[in-house]
Amino acid sequence: MAVPVRDRAYDVVVLGGGVNGAGVARDCAMRGLSVLLLEKQDLACGASGASSGMIHGGIRYMTSDRRVTEQASRDAGYIRHIAPHLTFRIPFLLPFATHEEGSRLLDRVTWYATEVYVGTYDLFQPLKGGKPSTRLSAEELYRVEPSLRPGLHGAVTLDEWGIDGQRLCVLNALSAAEHGAEVRTWTEATTLVREGGRVVAVRFRDAVTGEHGEARAGVVVNATGGWSPRFGRANGIQVPMRPGKGVHLSLDRRHGNYGIICTAVDGRQMFLMPHEMESIIGTTDDDFFGDPDDLDATADEVEYLIDGAASLVPSVRDARITRAWWGVRTTLFEYGVEEDDLSRDHRIYDHAGEGSAGLLSFVGGKLASFRAQSEELTDRVVAMLGRAVLPCRTHEVPLPGGDEVPSPRELAARHGVPEAVAARIVFRHGSLAREVLRIADDDPRMKLVVCRDEGILAAEVAWIARHEKVRRLQDLRRRCRLALGGCGGLDCARPAAQIAARELGWDADRLRAELSDLLEVGWRERRPVLDGWQLAEEELLRAVHRGLGGL
Amino acid sequence: MSKVRSYAWLAWRAVVPHPLRALRRRGTGEERFLANYAAERLAPTSLDARAVAEAASACISCGLCESGCALRSAIPAVRSLGLHAAFRLHAKSDEMRAHGADALAACASCTGCEPLCPTGVPITRLVRLLAAR
Amino acid sequence: MPGLRIECDVLVVGGGMAGATAALAAREGGARVVLASKAPGSTGLSGGAVSVAQDPACMPDTPFAARSGVVESARRIAATRPGHPYRLLRDRLDRLWNAIEFATGQLSAVLAPPTGRNRWILTPFGHAHPAATCHRTMAAGDLAEVRGTLLVCGFEGHLGWDPGLVASGAERVRSLGGPASRHVLLDMFRWEDGALGRPFDLARMLEAPGAAEEAGRVLRRVLARGDAAAVLPPVLGIDPEGRVADRIAAEAGIPVAEFLSDLPSVPGLRLHRAVEARLAAAGVEVLRGEVRAGAGPDLPATVGGREVVARSWVLASGRFVGGGIERRGELREGILGLPVLASEGPFADPSIRFATRPPASLTLRDSRAPQPLLAAGLRVDDALHPLDAEGRVLHPRVFAAGAVVGGHDPASDGTGMGVAMFTGWLAGRSAAGRDA
Repeated sequence: MAVPVRDRAYDVVVLGGGVNGAGVARDCAMRGLSVLLLEKQDLACGASGASSGMIHGGIRYMTSDRRVTEQASRDAGYIRHIAPHLTFRIPFLLPFATHEEGSRLLDRVTWYATEVYVGTYDLFQPLKGGKPSTRLSAEELYRVEPSLRPGLHGAVTLDEWGIDGQRLCVLNALSAAEHGAEVRTWTEATTLVREGGRVVAVRFRDAVTGEHGEARAGVVVNATGGWSPRFGRANGIQVPMRPGKGVHLSLDRRHGNYGIICTAVDGRQMFLMPHEMESIIGTTDDDFFGDPDDLDATADEVEYLIDGAASLVPSVRDARITRAWWGVRTTLFEYGVEEDDLSRDHRIYDHAGEGSAGLLSFVGGKLASFRAQSEELTDRVVAMLGRAVLPCRTHEVPLPGGDEVPSPRELAARHGVPEAVAARIVFRHGSLAREVLRIADDDPRMKLVVCRDEGILAAEVAWIARHEKVRRLQDLRRRCRLALGGCGGLDCARPAAQIAARELGWDADRLRAELSDLLEVGWRERRPVLDGWQLAEEELLRAVHRGLGGL
Repeated sequence: MSKVRSYAWLAWRAVVPHPLRALRRRGTGEERFLANYAAERLAPTSLDARAVAEAASACISCGLCESGCALRSAIPAVRSLGLHAAFRLHAKSDEMRAHGADALAACASCTGCEPLCPTGVPITRLVRLLAAR
Repeated sequence: MPGLRIECDVLVVGGGMAGATAALAAREGGARVVLASKAPGSTGLSGGAVSVAQDPACMPDTPFAARSGVVESARRIAATRPGHPYRLLRDRLDRLWNAIEFATGQLSAVLAPPTGRNRWILTPFGHAHPAATCHRTMAAGDLAEVRGTLLVCGFEGHLGWDPGLVASGAERVRSLGGPASRHVLLDMFRWEDGALGRPFDLARMLEAPGAAEEAGRVLRRVLARGDAAAVLPPVLGIDPEGRVADRIAAEAGIPVAEFLSDLPSVPGLRLHRAVEARLAAAGVEVLRGEVRAGAGPDLPATVGGREVVARSWVLASGRFVGGGIERRGELREGILGLPVLASEGPFADPSIRFATRPPASLTLRDSRAPQPLLAAGLRVDDALHPLDAEGRVLHPRVFAAGAVVGGHDPASDGTGMGVAMFTGWLAGRSAAGRDA
């Protein structure tokens, strides 16, 4: 399977399989460089996998530099172009609320200012295929979203794009591999090897096989995100960063079609929004000093989020919360500033001054600008290597499956699968949905439905296991959202594990260990929000997996 | 670009281009908002529909309802989804419901499923409501 | 207007194993018993094992023959688990076997008779699960009793079960006295309806005339010398009268059994139906619906449009799946408003009020550990009367049985059915005024 990499040489070794790592691996590979990507867990296990799942156009930068907004909007447009199947519209409502009855002049001025601000953002919407904003009166607002609490004075609407951030990472990594890059997940870069003030090689360890290796590198790109401070300390370099923990909650289904921007108890802006098959409440932002491998959502964070969402949509307290999830933002370092006021800008650090020439670190940035960030990083890499390369084309060449979005109805009829399932396969795979369903054509048993929350067939699990860099069962959480819904894996975990085992050659002991690992990871996320029907679900989950399965 | 210039620009927009645009626009805010999203089926959700969603959330994926489902006419692929896909996959969004319209319409309202649900999901009523929309 | 108001000796709330055992135990003494059941709960979702107790003290490599029997294991659990109902009832543990025999005897149409030792039954996850007894259709697969090779079967046409995975569970206990095993795919269910069938569909297909015999012929073709028994996926019919497993065995010439089931569970439904049939045959009046406006003994309670006034109540309403206990912001018992106090581990201390604590503080990071939140329930005295926070009996003629009683997390300790049968039997007899 894996070609031994000891003493192989690469132009670029990228550390970190988040969206920036995968993006820069893709760009470098497409420009003709030889690339090795090392990711110590699975793709998108860090901030990229725990983002709010939106690519927005940087509306907040209109007050400081509207060229940043223009660039961000244009780049969001590029993402739409290269992966149209992964994006979906989320209309947002920004309701106008007061704390007392009636409104003062200052309130009305603020609302007009908001309307102007969001209306100005309309100038940039065409760059990303966005819709213009509108202003709603109070009566109109309640017709559009009846679940809002009474006493609101109207709203401004705003159009943004949602995205499956994890599949975005995965597709970038797969594209990099298609262009010759070597992508190794569950492989941790342990030490940098220096010679005469330059970083010349990276030593690594494969967590699954235990194999050690060393790769020689022309340039090393550190895109380890929230793990940069730790990596830096272990390797004698400084990566200034203010890691920020962000928590989100998932509700088991969409309750409406519009996102609502709310204000939390401490005045922070947050949101309750539909996102594909679920709803999301987010997010928090707190300085994080701990180990990014060892995070949990606290009861306070959970209550903070529910409380904030309920301030505008009281019925959210009756909704079924399925899990809490979290990540660490790689925010740029500044001392003496509140978390929300920190810049979302990015910076590339060159460690030549620290005796580590040939090493670049990437800090900060936004999911929405990953492609531009990767392009900038790649330009720096190319300059350091001093080679002539092909031009950057990451904005125009579609990601795998992004060249066409097939019709679910047509696929359902042709392949004899339920239409809703075909729609989900199209969302995840775009034009490659046809290839996925071909597996079911060849073996009709593969039309067995594995997941009824996300519409996953056995054929899709097989495809993913064969083609999408799967080494562990929990990787399927990021490929196709296996076991992420309300069921927690009750009816999908074992069948999916069986299919993956067939494809990847796992024996029974390995299968059970992988199942156990999948369930353990899911438990961490479900634990802080066990309540109502989700608690009943947990009782069943434990009876089946612990009681019956002995896992 | 300094902050001052940005704010000045925004202030100018507040006084001139934004009101001008408002004058030239056709239709109310609500009309334009709904028109923006009609093609993608992102329509307002009534309180009744929200109540349906909340009732469907009681499903704990046990599959007991399937044993009581008299439905024999669905194609095997749809049977493989199982009855409780009606309030899981098909009830997740308006788009999914549209895709599942045929499967939802196949329900004969025999109510054989209803007494079997441990958490009291009002299955027959839900399927009928989802199919009707 | 006949029959709108019922007066009876005992009202049992909940028709799972605990409630049914209580109702049948009360009925045996001639009491007039009404049972209120809203829907199947965890009993109707069970996988086929009747788990009572496994020895907490034995080492993983202790052979089957050297392990403690069921009652002795229950005694050891009583000795080592402070909050567990077995501990609470330790002075009456000598009646545990009476309760098990009673309950399994009442359900002898579906359940195999208990022998006093745990049976070891395979599961779809490749694990051997100990249980005091199991469905009749599973007994021939008891790993402690098979002499020869165990043939673990899956279906060629259906990806739902992996016989290699299932058989690995047998391999792992071979050194404990389990049989050698091998696995095979039976050429069955290869057409489209079969390949995509849900477990209930497959079970019905096997109940069709001639289907079981055909399965038996398919099985016979793959038998080898030394095969002593065959285990198949848990779809061997829903109606016990259909005798699917026996018919397959007769045609194949080898004992045939099912392994345990996850969800959807055909054995669970089978057990649920058997319970309902037995209650009807015993003359228990079963009312369908939730108990509304119920205040307690001697006061009218509304169930499914009827009014019931009972001298004694047995609350066997289950935990979260059954709906007896719920958590919506805080833990509550929904029918009589009894305080939810009991759990296990550090929360067994009666001075800790945990009904309002957030879930993260009632659960442990290690998912394998017993979880206090999942063991939440009513605190009861040794007569199974629910208690308040000060330890006082709330009503002398209200009893609690089964999962609604706190102190055990069935997924962690394998005592769920045992607690249900034992507390049900004791509560039913007490409610009917019989000594226990």
